[in-house]
Amino acid sequence: MLDMDGSKPIYVQIAEWIETEIIDGTLGPDAKVYSQYKLAELFNINPATAGKGLSILLENGIVYQKRGLGTFVSPDGRDKLRSRRKEVTLRRLIQQLLDEAELLGVDDHHLQTLIEAERKRKKGDSE
Amino acid sequence: MTVIHFKDVTKSYRKHNVLKSMNFTIERNVITGVIGRNGVGKTTLMKIIAGFMEEMSGTVEVFSEKPFNNLRVSANSIFIDDAMAFPQAMTLQDILKECSRFYANWDGELANRLVDYFDFHRNARHQFLSKGKKSTFNAIIGISARCPLTLFDEPTTGMDAAVRKDFYRALLKDYLAHPRTILLSSHHVEEIEDLLEDVLLVQNGAIRFHGAITELQEMFIVLTGKHEKLSRHTVGKEVVLRDTSGPFPNWTVANSFTEAEKDQMVADGIIISPVSANNAYIALTNGPKGGIDDVFDRTETV
Repeated sequence: MLDMDGSKPIYVQIAEWIETEIIDGTLGPDAKVYSQYKLAELFNINPATAGKGLSILLENGIVYQKRGLGTFVSPDGRDKLRSRRKEVTLRRLIQQLLDEAELLGVDDHHLQTLIEAERKRKKGDSE
Repeated sequence: MTVIHFKDVTKSYRKHNVLKSMNFTIERNVITGVIGRNGVGKTTLMKIIAGFMEEMSGTVEVFSEKPFNNLRVSANSIFIDDAMAFPQAMTLQDILKECSRFYANWDGELANRLVDYFDFHRNARHQFLSKGKKSTFNAIIGISARCPLTLFDEPTTGMDAAVRKDFYRALLKDYLAHPRTILLSSHHVEEIEDLLEDVLLVQNGAIRFHGAITELQEMFIVLTGKHEKLSRHTVGKEVVLRDTSGPFPNWTVANSFTEAEKDQMVADGIIISPVSANNAYIALTNGPKGGIDDVFDRTETV
């Protein structure tokens, strides 16, 4: 689940893992998020490092803390994540796609047909 | 609360100055990795903390007291290495029993479970164990003693890969349940980096870096791409390591790039990745000599 070869700092990976749990609905609004100690045990890392992962989410308002009770998902946490992923992640993927297309000499029309073909294939798979 | 405090500490063996001027402070319940190249004084440092050796000058305080010849420090700390000697007449069972008498926080049940898990015969004698088995048994004592200050000097010497992994996992689990101050030295930084909160990097008898391991990692970034592109984007930057093995050269560079500069590099097809703590450590300790490739490179002067 985590990419331990170090292409991203481990605490960033922890933050992203929790974000994914929130986006896919595993952790709903006001749900309790794993403590840094639980995360440390789960991922076999120092609790201080796990705490840094939680801090990232806290700073971005994705989660909030209640003194003595723990960390919980902000009511608007999911919306914030979704809009950020749309703006940042999706944009970056599109950039990569366009770069690769340019390198291979694939024009916009061709790209469009490739996207449509992929969508059909995916539909076919799920049916 | 401060557990260990070093101020201007020196130590030499005959004319060789091992510790030149050590200054650092370690706080309670932090796992600190003591790292450094061979022969930089890691063991000397840890033995002074444990009170096995006396500093020559400067101030050493452990639990606010000078550790050398100090019963309070001895009772509250344990030093584990591969040279631990036990009386020859004692079986493993005897050793465990004596430990339970000496260490106030000794967890006998945990010790027994670990001894069973790692397949020890209780009637075996410590001196006849294989190198790896000895290290494993010593590590069991180190964990089960649950000392407020626990020092592990190269604890995994001779252990096979599976046992090393189990040991670090056991140490982390017991630390989570019973936090304590732990110092851990190892040559294999990549093995311990996830376990550590802080790093104490020893070089030339002094502290080269002391801080959070994440901070160490963020001091450098790795750039992968074509040589001429890397050269163009790193003008005026400090390139600490040039690795030319593999299809593309990758350079470890001091992380002094602005976000705009990073975006430009990405746009130019350079892959930016963070360094592992191990590579940051190598980069920091390599100095101006460059890497091993530079030794073989006689065309350009580095």
